Amino acid sequence: MFKNILAVAAGGALGTLCRYFLNTQTLTFWHSSTIGTVLENLSGSLLLGLVTGFLVHRQTKEWVKLGLGTGFCGGFTTMSTLASDTLFLSPAHSMAPSVLYVAISLFGGIALAFAGILLGEKWGRKEGGQPS
Amino acid sequence: MNLLLVSIGGALGAVSRYLIGLMMQKRFPAPIIPVAMLSVNVMGSFGLGLFLGIIYGAIPVNAMQDSIYLVIGVGFFGAFTTFSTFSIETVQLFRELAYKKALLYITITIAGSLLLFISGLWIGSVGR
Repeated sequence: MFKNILAVAAGGALGTLCRYFLNTQTLTFWHSSTIGTVLENLSGSLLLGLVTGFLVHRQTKEWVKLGLGTGFCGGFTTMSTLASDTLFLSPAHSMAPSVLYVAISLFGGIALAFAGILLGEKWGRKEGGQPS
Repeated sequence: MNLLLVSIGGALGAVSRYLIGLMMQKRFPAPIIPVAMLSVNVMGSFGLGLFLGIIYGAIPVNAMQDSIYLVIGVGFFGAFTTFSTFSIETVQLFRELAYKKALLYITITIAGSLLLFISGLWIGSVGR
């Protein structure tokens, strides 16, 4: 249990650092961190899909799964900032940017997670994982 | 220094999400939709709204230099809530051909996070 918590903490710290780094970069280049949040949520969904798919037929230590999935991918992606960005993007006269932002995050995130799972499962089988 | 603040908040947020997830799983072993991450995401959105309301009275344009924002906003609530697990759980519902559940899960998560964020922001800024 202690090992699991430590793995989640370390993965979470690392994921959060990567998110912070991307946000400050997009803030510098595009004067907005919302693009960063979209990139993080999309790539994080793909990555968690890959990890989930790859590990599905494998005997992997619990703390490794937790560190990568719950810790890193969980900390790298965020729903609270998505809520904040959605509101921030919506000036009084138009809801279009907010709707676009949510739509891209949702459809993109789910599609990439799906692609990630399928690819991960394929790689997992190729790497000699046992079918369950 | 900023990196340390972000890491500490992120580690605490992720561990809190993990522990609450375990607790919810024990309490609701076979939920209709994934209620553990749903609760975490709407609670975290409320928390971020409340925090921003109390400290800034609105959504700040750029607070990336404020220590408190880095620890609590980017770090804790950023890592406490998650989008990737939400995407995966939605895909899993679709793969089980539970389309209605998937749509329900998406709708409640997004609408709930937005509404609770707005509520938090409002309550926080009123109480300033």
